[in-house]
Amino acid sequence: MNEYAVPRSTEARGAADVAAVARARRGPTTAFWGMALFVASETTLFAIMIGTYFYLRIKNLDWPPHGIPEPKVVVPLVLLGVLVAGSVPMQLAARAGRAGRLAVARSFLLVALVVQSGYFAMEVHEYAGDLSKFRPAAHAYGSIYFLLLGADHAHVALGLLLNLWLLGKLVRGLTTYRLNALSAIAFYWHAVNLITVAVTLTILSARL
Amino acid sequence: MWVERPGALGWLTTTDHKRVGLLYFWTTLVFFAAGGAEALLMRAQLAEPNNTLIGPDTYNQLFTMHGMTMIFWFIIPMTTGAFGNYFIPLMIGARDMAFPKLNALSFWIFLGSGIFLYIGLFTGFGPNAGWFDYVPLASRLYDPGRNIEFYALGLLFNGISSTLASINIITTIFKLRAPGMSFNRIPLFCFAMLAASLGLLFALPALSADLVYLFLDRNLGFHFFDPGHGGSTLLWQHLFWFFGHPEVYILIVPAFGIATEIIPAFTQRKMIAFPLVAIAELLVVFIGFGVWAHHMFATGIPTTTLVFFAGATAMVVIPSTIQVFAWSSTIFTGRAEFRTPLLFIIGFIVFFVVGGLTGVMFVAIPFDQQITDTYFVIAHFHYIIFGAAVFPIFGGMYYWFPKVTGRMYFERAGQLSFWIIFAGTNLLFFPMHIVGLLGMPRRVYTYPGNMGWTAYNVVESVGGAITLVGMLVLFANLFVSYRRGAPAPIDPWHGPTLEWTIPSPPPEYNFAVIPKISSAYPNWDVSDREADRQRLAEGVGVLDDGHEQIVSTFADGYPAEIVQMPHSSPWPILVALALSGFFAVLVVQKFGVAAVFAVLLALAVLGWHSKEPQEQ
Repeated sequence: MNEYAVPRSTEARGAADVAAVARARRGPTTAFWGMALFVASETTLFAIMIGTYFYLRIKNLDWPPHGIPEPKVVVPLVLLGVLVAGSVPMQLAARAGRAGRLAVARSFLLVALVVQSGYFAMEVHEYAGDLSKFRPAAHAYGSIYFLLLGADHAHVALGLLLNLWLLGKLVRGLTTYRLNALSAIAFYWHAVNLITVAVTLTILSARL
Repeated sequence: MWVERPGALGWLTTTDHKRVGLLYFWTTLVFFAAGGAEALLMRAQLAEPNNTLIGPDTYNQLFTMHGMTMIFWFIIPMTTGAFGNYFIPLMIGARDMAFPKLNALSFWIFLGSGIFLYIGLFTGFGPNAGWFDYVPLASRLYDPGRNIEFYALGLLFNGISSTLASINIITTIFKLRAPGMSFNRIPLFCFAMLAASLGLLFALPALSADLVYLFLDRNLGFHFFDPGHGGSTLLWQHLFWFFGHPEVYILIVPAFGIATEIIPAFTQRKMIAFPLVAIAELLVVFIGFGVWAHHMFATGIPTTTLVFFAGATAMVVIPSTIQVFAWSSTIFTGRAEFRTPLLFIIGFIVFFVVGGLTGVMFVAIPFDQQITDTYFVIAHFHYIIFGAAVFPIFGGMYYWFPKVTGRMYFERAGQLSFWIIFAGTNLLFFPMHIVGLLGMPRRVYTYPGNMGWTAYNVVESVGGAITLVGMLVLFANLFVSYRRGAPAPIDPWHGPTLEWTIPSPPPEYNFAVIPKISSAYPNWDVSDREADRQRLAEGVGVLDDGHEQIVSTFADGYPAEIVQMPHSSPWPILVALALSGFFAVLVVQKFGVAAVFAVLLALAVLGWHSKEPQEQ
């Protein structure tokens, strides 16, 4: 301790020390703020693209235009459910990390990674299937359809890379730095899942 | 406590906010010179009718590059990158920015994007469709060269840097304040930087999306802006101005911030209506998000829609006027000492009021439709962007010169430079109001002699030359002062904020002892500073175990934890290099090579995170 009576948090050694630092926290870390602001910027990006989708829609009489199939309903909704369910193990992993239970945190992270990877593989498959039916260069509908879904999948892919990296770090024990990363990445996933809900509903709105 | 690595390698790998700030400063000055040269070439071309000095194609590239350079490669990086980086940590009592490596990365990306853009100009592919780059003029059909690729990718590239810088600035102000600096004790300069950064963070995504659409339309046959295939040309304008108008306020708000530092220092009086001014700084940017269609009054949007935007635009008058009255009444009621920095701020207030009054005129929709795309618009926004946004930058250069260099500048030469620039700027831009009302359109490379525009254009060009002379005096003054100026004391102005409590130039660690804060003008709290010196003598609150930094709570500024900060790192520049390669090959549609650079980028990011703070 020191004259400020606050922990030297980056120097915590071992899971128990790290958990003690986490318990003593007064408010979010700089790492969390960094991630929250990044997510705010990305969310704005998606809001702009979703706005573009509806702007183009009201400019067109036929949506989707003739010759382009309507979007599927059941498969995307089921996949969406799977992805959103991944938020639960992410949050549990963050909680276990804050409690200093490293093995539990790793297991939940692994569960989340498996679920999210399955989602991603299925979505890539669906995306390729759509590309074989119509092209982004066919019509503005195709342009925004593939860009919006592609951007969303790219954010899921980034999340997968983050989880993979984090798992590699956690194999070598818990530090405050890694715990901060775990909390921030869990937050990233919650945000990406919410964005995916908005994107999926936007895409499905073409059937209305 | 610690020292920076010496030599060129030290500068390439630095993460020190002051060094990064200086790198930003020198780089933006180079771009300022480039943008200024472009402006002078245009003024030379327009100095007489039917001039053949510059052809139309070159002229198109010149005005596009001038706009892009001055906005994205001079004012924003100068205010947020140079002034923000250098002074935010000093004013809030921190030893660095919240994410020092990210800070270095923002700079190297910024530099890479500028080199990228100018490679376009020098290979004959400078952007040439105006800084707002309307489609369909900017579409592949009407602009088949690679010019617009340099525009779209250059701005995307630059936007990454600004986004990272904003995240860093906001987090720094939220979390790294010295104990006791609650939200209401943050210096107004930092409030302005906070407003600008929040604006950038939420405005840039609209531009980024727009640029991606443009790139995809031009290179992969997408149809976002093609009405023949369900797209919309107005979509470009909506998204561009949804970014573009907040952007205008992002340019001006840091100038407000600099003014609110210089005015208290040279009147020895705290700012009148401090909380109102702080709120007004944030409110200007916030309202800025609801006014974008006032750039589109002449596009045929329904009048009902336009009236809403006219009303929202008129609303901006309220926070602006609050600030004008706060600045001027502080000057009137204080003991004003008219040194060079304060002169520049008074010039700024004059320009801001004139430019603001012409701005209010645009709210009248029929008037706006009449003078859209004339020189009246050019006059208006140069009064704001040059007169009001750049004058405080000059003022700030003089004000903080002793702190940064440890030398005093020459006062008489400084005042002379102000009067020359002030006169030159008015000669340069005021006649544009008249010539605009006489009907001279913007973006024409020449004009016939019988329109009655010639005399005004001659005056403008002479004004441009005078402005250049004034700026040469300014920079010569600073350069000679840097070599021969009298040594600067710690606090030559009896300034109000924390940077005046530490040596000039500041040591690497900024504060030997972390100060305790009880007001927004801590340098004037004599007993607090005495207590700091006492604590330093006793070794209390020194935090000298490595690169230690205190992190405080968001609202109250209570101490929360002590963290180790990263120091010099080679990774930021390597990440920026990989990203530069990525953008460079996208111009020539080598998507496979771009993927290779993306993998290199990911590897560099991995290397960046290989060492944790406690391992350094």
